[in-house]
Amino acid sequence: MRAERPAGVAERRRRRLRLAGRYLLMTGLALVVLFPIYITVVNSLLRPDQIAARPPSLFPTDPQWSSYRIAWTDGHMGRYLLNSAIVTTAIMVGQVVLAILAAYAFAFLEFPGRGVLFVVFLATMMVPFEVVFFTNYHTIADLGLLDTYGGLILPFLATGFGAFLLRQAFLTVPRDLRDAAALDGYGHFRFLWHVAVPLARPTVAALGVFAFLSAWGQYLWPLVATNDEHARTVQVGLRQLRDTSLDNINVTFAGVVLASIPLVLLLLVFQRQLVRGLTAGAVKG
Amino acid sequence: MSEHVRAPGRRAKDALLGYALVAPSLVLFGVFVFYPFGKNFWLALHRTPPFPGLPKKYVGLDQVGDVLSSPEFQKSLKVTVLFVLYTVPTGIVLGLLLAVLAHRQLKGMTVYRTIFSSTVATSVAAASVIFFTLLNPQVGLFTYWLGRSGDLGVLEDPTTALIAVSITTIWQTLGLSFILMSAGLQGVPDDLEEAAAVDGASAPRRFWHVTLPMLSPTLFFAAVVGSITAFQAFGQIDLLTEGGPNNETNVLVYSVYKDVFRYGNDGVAAVKAIALFFIVLILTVVQLRFAERRVSYAR
Amino acid sequence: MHRARRSVLLVAAVAGIALALVPVGASPAGAASGKCPVKALDQAKSKPVDIVMWHSMPRASEETLQRLTDQFNASQGDVRVKLLNTTSYDDTFTKYRAGLGGGDLPDVVQIQDTSLQGMIDSQSVVPIAACIKADKYDTSDFVPRVLDYWTVANTLYGMPFNVSNPVFYYNKLAFEKAGLDPNKPPATLEEVRAAAQKLVDSGTTKYGYSIKLDPWYLEHWLAKAGKPYVNNSNGRKQRATSVVFDTKAGQEIFSWLDSMVDDKLALNTGPPAGNIDNLLAIGAGNAAMTIDTSGNLGTILQVLGSGQFPNVEIGVAPMPGPVGKGGVLVGGAALYIPKSSSPEKQAAAWKFIKFLDEPASQAQWSVGTGYVPVRKSAIEDPVLEAAWAKTPEYKVAYDQLVTGVNNVATAGPVIGPYSAVREAVVNALTQMLTQGVDPKAALATAADKSNQEIEAYNARVG
Repeated sequence: MRAERPAGVAERRRRRLRLAGRYLLMTGLALVVLFPIYITVVNSLLRPDQIAARPPSLFPTDPQWSSYRIAWTDGHMGRYLLNSAIVTTAIMVGQVVLAILAAYAFAFLEFPGRGVLFVVFLATMMVPFEVVFFTNYHTIADLGLLDTYGGLILPFLATGFGAFLLRQAFLTVPRDLRDAAALDGYGHFRFLWHVAVPLARPTVAALGVFAFLSAWGQYLWPLVATNDEHARTVQVGLRQLRDTSLDNINVTFAGVVLASIPLVLLLLVFQRQLVRGLTAGAVKG
Repeated sequence: MSEHVRAPGRRAKDALLGYALVAPSLVLFGVFVFYPFGKNFWLALHRTPPFPGLPKKYVGLDQVGDVLSSPEFQKSLKVTVLFVLYTVPTGIVLGLLLAVLAHRQLKGMTVYRTIFSSTVATSVAAASVIFFTLLNPQVGLFTYWLGRSGDLGVLEDPTTALIAVSITTIWQTLGLSFILMSAGLQGVPDDLEEAAAVDGASAPRRFWHVTLPMLSPTLFFAAVVGSITAFQAFGQIDLLTEGGPNNETNVLVYSVYKDVFRYGNDGVAAVKAIALFFIVLILTVVQLRFAERRVSYAR
Repeated sequence: MHRARRSVLLVAAVAGIALALVPVGASPAGAASGKCPVKALDQAKSKPVDIVMWHSMPRASEETLQRLTDQFNASQGDVRVKLLNTTSYDDTFTKYRAGLGGGDLPDVVQIQDTSLQGMIDSQSVVPIAACIKADKYDTSDFVPRVLDYWTVANTLYGMPFNVSNPVFYYNKLAFEKAGLDPNKPPATLEEVRAAAQKLVDSGTTKYGYSIKLDPWYLEHWLAKAGKPYVNNSNGRKQRATSVVFDTKAGQEIFSWLDSMVDDKLALNTGPPAGNIDNLLAIGAGNAAMTIDTSGNLGTILQVLGSGQFPNVEIGVAPMPGPVGKGGVLVGGAALYIPKSSSPEKQAAAWKFIKFLDEPASQAQWSVGTGYVPVRKSAIEDPVLEAAWAKTPEYKVAYDQLVTGVNNVATAGPVIGPYSAVREAVVNALTQMLTQGVDPKAALATAADKSNQEIEAYNARVG
């Protein structure tokens, strides 16, 4: 704080003006950011001719909820959402479990070749999925797994990033805790389950949310690995919906809203974990 | 380590357990990362038939040379770099602006923060479908506001298509950028700012000389990770332009996708995929290098 | 940490090189055989023989296909068909291609027109001609141009099933308003231009004509002019090695489109990346004429019926184009029988395909979907007669197919890398219409690029 406070009405007014300006700017930006979302909801409730009308209607005076019903049934959004939920949950659980197991081995177990294997895990982070997706497509096709949940899940079950993150977390478990557990006759799995994982819970949660978020938003892989609605996920379903409802775009908008609801709910509940998950890389610097 | 108190049998058991625990991941990596990665190099050296089952022909580096020197590939590379340049810096600057504005504890700030981070709840596909419709030349609202209703569509116009795709991307990633930048700002100790304030530094000066350097690890991370992500862009291209018009938005991954799924040409696709791999590799190495040096002094 | 990082690179590099040296096995496609075991159904161990058909029909048409399939399943006990919707022509073809590597394959597959050469090159299907011969099946009732389309080197490969072609759509109300005769739609390019001029001058619509940037302008208009598209008799005598569209006739087509856009008589609505903007432009009053596939007619009538566009009354007419000794091309898809199926499944597939192409089935199919019947006698079917009497717009596409002469040009081009050639043409059109490249240069670019693609493709199969 400054030693002398320059009182006076002018100064206070200037400050208040600046504050008002700040709010004005933020409100303006908020409107810009929010507008596409807002208009999506509005358009999902308008009739197609209202959407096309000029000047545009920016408020649904006579909301038409039928678009949601059409998107859900004719647009298969119900099926797609279920598929997405199954696939995404499986990938998330799989990644977390496999990462915990591998990270435990790297952090707490001694075995020949551990260093090399850890480097192999890290090396997987250097190979973007976009570089290998088409050969994976042939692999999945040859296994007869196109259009199955297995085909959508398998390539994403293992995660080098997750193993790395959890290993770092496990390494912070104090050594005397480990020794004490060993003295108490804790086996590895009891130690893992009752000591290591609880201590690393924030990291586990962050990894879980991160895995869910990236799996939910996947587009390229579900697009190529599914050709019918049996396993097709909601993101690709949106493309489908767009192509088949060109004549009633309110249905397309309704589909977008439906596809986003699960994520909105998830984020409201797990906001903190999300921030941790998203910034995990930044923190590790 | 306490292994010296353990029996040798126990050590062997530990080792076995270690292998068992990494084995599932390792098998999956082998099948879905290392095998296809290696196969890319094999494919790059072979002229591949449009249908599996027909013979593949070894052509050495001919195909690699053909692809790398082809105007299509070079255009694709140029478009990809442009896309990265359009989206990444803008996204960071906007995210930072929002983060700085929302950093001060003021009334109603939670609402603003929620709004600013709201686009993380969308997906590339959702954002693209929204913008695709809003940019429709006949019925799109944005087209109407741009005064282009009934004319050549923004997404069909070679001069504007990539920009439109970029804006969609920036919007979709803005929430993420905002969250990252906010987290970074929270890492800047308040007392540093206050000290500078006591020294009589103006707000812009404080931001430029104190906050920004402290933020450099975050900015750097966002720039590199953002670039890597942008180099891998696919969904918005597929949904908005399908690589058109006249290949003006035919980014690398999309062109790989087309090679395989439209033309059945895995050999050519492999060359492009390897090129993409090296670009991302360089970025990663740069990140690791800089993470050590330039950025750590801020610690 | 530093060392760890370096070894990451090392491991990655070594792994890559090591794997690059391992040859990846290539299994040859199933033994090549041109035989069609039409009698194998009699020897089937158990009946019904279950077969799967992959199709790409959108919702509305899928219902009709399902109804026909149900009829077939109920009508006999030998064969039971299950349909699988594989979303789109491109998706179906991709999935089929992937299946050739050893994965899932169907017993009947619906493949789009342009993939004909690809299906031949895949060496994976029983030529339909073999089934026709073995079964002594009579094809004289089929629309000749339709059979021509799927015949290469005198062999019919796919069985025509759903056929459509581009027709001319125009807004009768706008025509009236502009002082044009709504019952006399333009038949030549000059007349289209004149009509567009009148529509614009009278202030009826912003543009007269909306261009869906589709390669069919070049393909169909050259066919109408009686000119081939690729060499070796449009690729029907032997594999095409280059395009032959860079001619005066081709230039005239490009120039016409270019001048229409330059003179603001036509609106370019871009390539058909899932868009119907050319039709929406008519709805929005920005244009009053366009060319689009007859397959869209059902949707158009349905949308107009909903009252969304009160200012539109749609008229359908034969596709205008250059005058010459030819006619419009066949579009749509055919049914193929993969060799990978067992003989009894192949026989079952043949039986089902024959059912789908019976005149009565084709009549039902046409009524339900708007596709053109592939059988001449189908149009005498009371169901179809009644439907066409009620909505004569549906008949236009059929009439187009049976008018004009049938020759190599109207059989249409057979091209291995068809989609790559189409892309080359669309890119050239884009350059011409949006970037000021002149028509001659644009067409030459399209031809060059197409030839490169054809050469590269032929090298890959040869």
